[in-house]
Amino acid sequence: MAGRKRPPRRQGAAGWLFVSPTIVVLGLFLLVPVLMALWVSFSDWSGVGSPLSSGVKFVGTKNYQQLLSGGSLAETNFGTSLRNNAWYVVFVVPIQTAVALLLAVLVNRQVLRGRGFFRTAFYFPSVTSSVAITVLWLFLFSTTGAVNKALSFIGVHGPNWFNDPDGIVHLALRLFGVDRGPAALTGHTALGVSWWDWFAGPSVAMSAFIMMAVFTTSGTFMLLFIAALQNLSSEVQEAAMMDGANGWQRFWRITLPQLRPTLFTVLTLGLIGTWQVFDQIYTGTRGAPDNTTVTPSYLSYTTAFGSQQWGQGAAIAFILFVIIVVLTLVQRSVLRERAVSKRRMRLYDPARLTGAAATTAKETSR
Amino acid sequence: MTSTPLADRIGTGAPEPDSKAPPPARAGRHRALMPASIVLYVALIAIAVIYVLPFLINVVTAFKTEPDATANPLALPVNWTTAAFHTLFTNSDFPTWVKNSFIVAVFVTAGRVFFDSLAGYALARLDFRGRNVVFALLVAVMAVPSVVLMIPKFLVLNQFGMYDSYAGMIIPLLVDAAGVFIMKNFFESIPRSVEEQASIDGAGTFRVFWSIVLPMARPALVTIIILSFQGSWNELPHFIISTQSPGLTTLTKGVASLASGQLSSGNQYPIKLAAAAIMTIPVAVLFFVFQKRIMNSSDGAVKE
Amino acid sequence: MQRRTHRLLAAGALTAVAALGLTACGSGFSSGDGAGSGSSAAALTSSDDPLSILIGSSGSHETKAVSSAVADWSKSSGTKATVTAASDLTQQLSQGFASGKPADVFYVSTDQLAGYAKNGSLLAYGDQLKNKSDFFPTLVKSFTVDGTFYCAPKDFSTLGLIINEKMWKEAGFTDSDVPTTWDQLKTVAAKLTTSDHVGLALSPQYARVGAFMAEAGGSFTNADGTKATVDSNANLQGLEYVQGLLKSGDAKFSSDLGTGWGGESFGKGQAAMTVEGNWITGALSADYPDISYKVAEMPAGPSGQGTLQFTNCWGIAKDSPNQKAALDLVEKLTSTDQQLTFAKDFGVMPSVKSAADTWKTDNPDLAPFLDSASFAEGVPNQAGSADVVAAFDSKMSGLKTADAKALLATTQKQFAAVLSQ
Repeated sequence: MAGRKRPPRRQGAAGWLFVSPTIVVLGLFLLVPVLMALWVSFSDWSGVGSPLSSGVKFVGTKNYQQLLSGGSLAETNFGTSLRNNAWYVVFVVPIQTAVALLLAVLVNRQVLRGRGFFRTAFYFPSVTSSVAITVLWLFLFSTTGAVNKALSFIGVHGPNWFNDPDGIVHLALRLFGVDRGPAALTGHTALGVSWWDWFAGPSVAMSAFIMMAVFTTSGTFMLLFIAALQNLSSEVQEAAMMDGANGWQRFWRITLPQLRPTLFTVLTLGLIGTWQVFDQIYTGTRGAPDNTTVTPSYLSYTTAFGSQQWGQGAAIAFILFVIIVVLTLVQRSVLRERAVSKRRMRLYDPARLTGAAATTAKETSR
Repeated sequence: MTSTPLADRIGTGAPEPDSKAPPPARAGRHRALMPASIVLYVALIAIAVIYVLPFLINVVTAFKTEPDATANPLALPVNWTTAAFHTLFTNSDFPTWVKNSFIVAVFVTAGRVFFDSLAGYALARLDFRGRNVVFALLVAVMAVPSVVLMIPKFLVLNQFGMYDSYAGMIIPLLVDAAGVFIMKNFFESIPRSVEEQASIDGAGTFRVFWSIVLPMARPALVTIIILSFQGSWNELPHFIISTQSPGLTTLTKGVASLASGQLSSGNQYPIKLAAAAIMTIPVAVLFFVFQKRIMNSSDGAVKE
Repeated sequence: MQRRTHRLLAAGALTAVAALGLTACGSGFSSGDGAGSGSSAAALTSSDDPLSILIGSSGSHETKAVSSAVADWSKSSGTKATVTAASDLTQQLSQGFASGKPADVFYVSTDQLAGYAKNGSLLAYGDQLKNKSDFFPTLVKSFTVDGTFYCAPKDFSTLGLIINEKMWKEAGFTDSDVPTTWDQLKTVAAKLTTSDHVGLALSPQYARVGAFMAEAGGSFTNADGTKATVDSNANLQGLEYVQGLLKSGDAKFSSDLGTGWGGESFGKGQAAMTVEGNWITGALSADYPDISYKVAEMPAGPSGQGTLQFTNCWGIAKDSPNQKAALDLVEKLTSTDQQLTFAKDFGVMPSVKSAADTWKTDNPDLAPFLDSASFAEGVPNQAGSADVVAAFDSKMSGLKTADAKALLATTQKQFAAVLSQ
């Protein structure tokens, strides 16, 4: 753009005219709402009439304090929701990335018969609605459902999926006879949840949602990896082949490092998406059993629309926002540490990243 | 590819490498039927079964009776019945939900196609003061997670008196920043000469955009159509917070309420799964129609 | 070029943040246009606007019955009215109140009443009811907040023991074996448990398990609802009794049987007995008409008989433009005749004294429900108590292996916090 001539006058007007619908809609339904909610999160608005009316008072950080300290029910619920979602993220992000990469590598063979079929099969779950998939999942994972039936064929008595609140880490420990946590863990709490419970792992119910997330998002990310794989330079591969490296070594030493930019994108999108789980909780379990599927976004919704604690609900949303931003930045700095070639540097362009994020965040949040 | 804007790839419908696979590769196929290859196919087929089977179960169960669905979740129906569909269409609000979902999806798709390309064109081609600020704002806006917006969007719709109306359901979705990005990138990839020619001929900016640039943008527009339709069809939170009347319930919201409605309505799996199957049809059709384009381009759409 | 774009971007982002900050100061606080209108209405509003009625229906039979009653009223009064069954009553109500266009008439549960009363969403019309004196006094008390009688009790229900007649006979029991004590309940539950079905099924929630706490003499609060008494020994005793039944396998929660509630487990023949309220009769006849069953009063615990009582009222929105017609409609819906019709249609018990005798004659099999009213306890109705009960409920599905004492202690802490607010 440096060498261009000054624009003709009329382009200025046309430019603004062209972008004005976008600015108006995004301004009114993104910027204004965020500001209004920010105000509500600092107010005592009780859900009747306008939050901008004179009767609504500024209460400082009271709503935030109630969530983060004081031992109230609100704090416990918020702590529980963070615990639930953190485990969800910890499991979904690596698994979906690994599965997507695996599928991409399998499907990317030049001489594969039925390549189109496989790609379609793997990608199809990504286009369907999260509501429809959740309904299906509720059936598949019901007590007498398809999954337990299939398990029974191989002699396994399946769990009562969506009704089982036990954390899978706790269940694993139970196999070794550990039934109660040590006092050091059970006696101390953070955000109203004992350390022992923080380490419970995702509940069996949440695990079903974790599988669903992998099922619905791996296809999208598989496409990203396929695109990246197709652009790898074959020269390096061939050189490595000459050197006698086997397929496994070539994958780890050559392919994977070259995929780093895509890996980074996939991890970022995964992270952003998995912290916003809402649809499947609303459709499926509504937080049950034992609050182990409550997520911050769902809690924010029920706190505001259900319990009429609008300030607190908005506060949860903003804390969640901060968590997502901070984690994304942390992840970026961790993955960025090592020197990257100038060419690849472009892929870290923040504009590209956030753009990509917005497109798929929605997608991947299911 | 990373340096190739997505748009030319969509534009040319970049041929899949395998479609022009040279004869040697075919010869290789015979050689490939070695143990390692068989293992690969077995693995792929096994995974494919895992990915496809749930949808088959979904469709099949929709034709079962409730006791049959509970007792034999994996078998074919003992007696095929369309009772679930009958209940949905004659004894529930399902037709209204379908209608609303279509109305919203059509308007949102049309709006996005127009507004996204308009803004994308301005950001790509028109030099105007403040363009970079607008661009930066767009980036900032995209970083806001949608879930943060549930409560605030409700408050604003309320404040504007648009709550519980089609306007409230549609207008906030009319523009999406990501779509603007896709269009901007596309317009940047096409040569300027055509428009310059037209401008010299004295055509107005909008005319140039409308009758010269837009027709060239068909491939990118298809991407927008796919993403918009799928996005608005599958959208749930926005409709939860923007409506309360049963007459404005969309499929996502309605089926979600079916799913969580307990009490005496019981499990009713065939009805729920029939609803889930029907609501998947439009996006599935879209998917299969534009399959090649999606497979080739959605990576670009995401990355650019 | 690349670097320049970066710098521009950064500058742009900064501007955006600054703009955000400025607008926050500029607009947010000032434009108070006070949409929260209609705060004090001494006289009832009146207009030609149609009424909308939002109900939290237990199923199609209830929706149908209410719809037809409202349609009748519409015809005679000339005011149009539509009935909507909410998919999520609480959410739809709060969105309605916040948007300033709530439904005109709607169900309000006891635990939500205080919250809505506090934020001024409800019209306190109780004293203007023509049939005010006909309501059971305990029910009126449930809908009275700070001395103000808010809304007309719609009907009420109590919990009873529902027994599957066929399974009962198969186990060799007769009418004289109907359990009247905890020990007897445990014995029959054990005998009724076979490989096909469990002895007793119940929904994992306070609204069922609480009955056993009541039988042990426990309650969540003291009599006037000012102090939390959740961690009492009586409550522990009640909870541990249920835990014992679960542990021995003689009872199971409906969630563990893969159903949504006790009535569904019972209807599907997964359980020989369940603890449910009189609403189960409507559901059973609609969804599982082949089941023959009988109703018994809940067995007595260490402190005698006890059960829980539930009720809803017909709330009228303060923002309703047609309160007068709404009041008229409510009077019609709570009239003796209408309540008896509802009772027939979906198994509720009339909230007015004048209908009690007829109801008992009409429903001799269900008399235990109405008879239970003499020892039934209401559920907590303090503002915020719903959240505490929800938190308690969330722990119920894991009761079998839970530490009952710790569970009650947690709830005690939460309830005390709510009451002190």
